[in-house]
Amino acid sequence: MEGLTGELEDRSLRPLTGEFWAAVNQGILVRPVCGNCHRSFFVPQFACPKCQSTDWAYEPSSGRGRVYSHTTVHRPPTPAFDAPYVLADVDVEEGWHLLTWIVGCEPDQVAIDMPVSVRFITGPDGQQLPAFAPHEAAQ
Amino acid sequence: MSGAHPLHRVAIVGVAATEMARQLDTTSAEISMRAALAALDDAGLTVADVDGVAARWPGPGGTVFQPGSADWAEVFGQPLRWVCDTYPQGVPGALDAAAAVAAGLCETALVFGGQAGVMGGSAVADYTRPDNEFIACWGSLTAAQFALVAQVYRHRFAPDPEQVAAIAAAIRNAGSANPAAVMAGRGPYTAADVLASPMVAEPFRLLDLCLATEGAAAMVITTAERARDLPQPPVAILGGGAEWHRQQYVNPPRYDEVWGLGADAAHRAFELAELSPLDVDVFELYDINTYEVVRQFEMLGLCAEGEGADYLAEAGIGIDGRHPLNTDGGLLSYSHIGWGGPTLKIVEAVRQLRGTAGPGQVPNAEVALVTGAGSGAQYHNIMILGRG
Repeated sequence: MEGLTGELEDRSLRPLTGEFWAAVNQGILVRPVCGNCHRSFFVPQFACPKCQSTDWAYEPSSGRGRVYSHTTVHRPPTPAFDAPYVLADVDVEEGWHLLTWIVGCEPDQVAIDMPVSVRFITGPDGQQLPAFAPHEAAQ
Repeated sequence: MSGAHPLHRVAIVGVAATEMARQLDTTSAEISMRAALAALDDAGLTVADVDGVAARWPGPGGTVFQPGSADWAEVFGQPLRWVCDTYPQGVPGALDAAAAVAAGLCETALVFGGQAGVMGGSAVADYTRPDNEFIACWGSLTAAQFALVAQVYRHRFAPDPEQVAAIAAAIRNAGSANPAAVMAGRGPYTAADVLASPMVAEPFRLLDLCLATEGAAAMVITTAERARDLPQPPVAILGGGAEWHRQQYVNPPRYDEVWGLGADAAHRAFELAELSPLDVDVFELYDINTYEVVRQFEMLGLCAEGEGADYLAEAGIGIDGRHPLNTDGGLLSYSHIGWGGPTLKIVEAVRQLRGTAGPGQVPNAEVALVTGAGSGAQYHNIMILGRG
């Protein structure tokens, strides 16, 4: 895995998604917002999946949302990850969603529809990641 | 003949599967070729009869150019008229080859693939570790992607865990009786055994989930006209279809979008076959996990959403049940050989329709249903096979 053996990759240089990761590095969650239909979408794509406009820009998100689904992983895909961890699909309040982790509580406390807020963590590869925590715990 | 639907102008005339194991001491190319030659032998044909290949190219040797299927022209020592790097094999491979044969782009297509010498080590199979930058950083794996879908189902419908586990036990017991299965002779399993196995990604325990093994599978598709002169009873493609909801493992699958995935393809397939799901004698379903089996019966409309586990417990899924399924032990117990794995479903369905399926034979099976992929992968495909 990148980062484990030496210098971290500069994710801000990635095509299309560099600005997202650059914001994450500064503790800011952003998402693409279409300049034509004004809807948010994720993952970043070169064109808006709702109206196919290429006129979109990253804008800061409130970082608040709800758990759409979650699963506690007990057997990780590679030894780089320490199980258990809670994978979740979080619906963010501006109308987009992303795969993430729920942190800041025990895995068995995570529930569908639970309010959560973004909390930046250091991932197994040493890079910052936008995880989410129960909304109260995130205050 | 000319009035028939194009899919009805072709037949599956040969099938084969190699030995299956957790690890095989050979290469993906060699094990794939062995499956291909065995399928041709089964069909009463030789490589000289092949003018179409859907196989991709696993190496070693050859080039890095696409389509990799063209590399097989070199190994087979003759030019081809049609090639297609179908992903995955199984139903999409069969439908692509059938369309090519029906259109006259080639006469005899060989669809084959598998893997060997690639499994092992401390990580799960690389094809179950999606490498998208918004997936891999979270340590997701295919089982977890499917788990995200199953968790919403559990939240809304609270299926009886014993009933769901009983599905895994039944499929694994079919595999136990299949001498060719990687898990042959293991078991017998009960629902309690499944529920006592280690948790992998909630709600899936180890025995809910498919294998990742090595081996290869192949099928031969030619015109219905030519099939009449070949030794095996031909198997007809009565109907088929696919749905591609979106690319897999980029955005997480969402229950509300994918639990019914395949319903439209199934509707088209059954309409073409002039059959209903109630006419199916044997189901060879893509059993990447037990909840996918439940899901597919709901998707087919054989029971209402949320009632699949109850329905299957009542209907019965063994050879003597109303819906015999995964008679070879499925992906859970027979084998799952990566992108070539879906072809195993067709191999078993063809053998069922020929009446040569061995211990898992369903008496007088005339209509078989084969599926591939599933909700967590965000695409699904389906094919109805019958005696030609």
